[in-house]
Amino acid sequence: MVDYNLERLNFLIVDDNKHMRALVQGILHALGVKNCLDAIDGADAFKELRHFPADIIICDWNMQPLDGLDFTRLVRTGKDSPNPFVPIIMLTGHTEMNRVVEARDAGVHEFMAKPISAKGLYARIKAIIERPRPFVRAGMYFGPDRRRRDNPAYRGSERRKSDDEASGGGGGGAELSQEEVQALLDN
Amino acid sequence: MSDDESVKVITPPNTLKSRVREGGPGSVDLAALERAEAVIADLADSYLEWVEEDLEKIRRAHDALSANMDNPAEYVDAVFQIAHDMKGQGGSFGYDLMTILGNDLCRFIEGKQAVTKTDLNVISLYIDTMKIVISKRMSGDGGAEGQKVLAGLAMVVKKITSG
Repeated sequence: MVDYNLERLNFLIVDDNKHMRALVQGILHALGVKNCLDAIDGADAFKELRHFPADIIICDWNMQPLDGLDFTRLVRTGKDSPNPFVPIIMLTGHTEMNRVVEARDAGVHEFMAKPISAKGLYARIKAIIERPRPFVRAGMYFGPDRRRRDNPAYRGSERRKSDDEASGGGGGGAELSQEEVQALLDN
Repeated sequence: MSDDESVKVITPPNTLKSRVREGGPGSVDLAALERAEAVIADLADSYLEWVEEDLEKIRRAHDALSANMDNPAEYVDAVFQIAHDMKGQGGSFGYDLMTILGNDLCRFIEGKQAVTKTDLNVISLYIDTMKIVISKRMSGDGGAEGQKVLAGLAMVVKKITSG
């Protein structure tokens, strides 16, 4: 297993709960990260991005006025987005299948189910470092390639259709464990 | 036009790999991960202080729902949002039972179009049980006492929802 030194990476933490921000920041500092910036919601984070060159964004889902999903879409497709390619880790208690698919389709790189653990967070950071993903512009979507695994059976947009079927067409969805979330994203 | 024709693939510059060093001092080894887990344990005390505010907030949301049963949508959503936050936070700070209870409460109320007195009683039971978990400092899985509390709650919920 490769151990990475993260001290040169800049992290932007976006969460409306100051205790959760402190927790993520504390974990990152313990992992050797030197540069962390906080934002209290998506709008605040988007403002910070204009002058803070974030390498990785760790973002909560439920926030007002701009939630994590809308923030991700704004970063990916906003005309004035400072960095449409920046990797985003969505950190949330929403682990229903349709929610995971929704987050992926907004353009997040990684999805991490709360409760947070240091090992879990580092695993997501490692995945981003080790598996850089090409970006895709397809119809309304712009973001990291949602196909993480080579699949000879892939036929363009059909893949997303099968996801909709798997998630019950976006209406509800079963709770997934982090392993199941990962399997869904890797599929 | 086929969908494939409108797909454009862009390879962004991968600057991350060049900015992280592999191995050596300061890299994320087992000791660093243990330090990070210790940070979480250290913050558990502060969690116990601010979770009390959340418990009061969710009780107020329950009372507001009780007073607005004829038009419950936004009040159900308020209870759901607080329970959902508590679910994510509990286990993050070492209180796994709060995550279980927050999740079960979310599952119980999500999508409810109408709310009965029985529903209100169940919500209230969840809130009371979360209060017990916090006041008795039942961290982790709560041990035998914690499991007894969960089993007791499940039994009462079953009884009042089937009656």
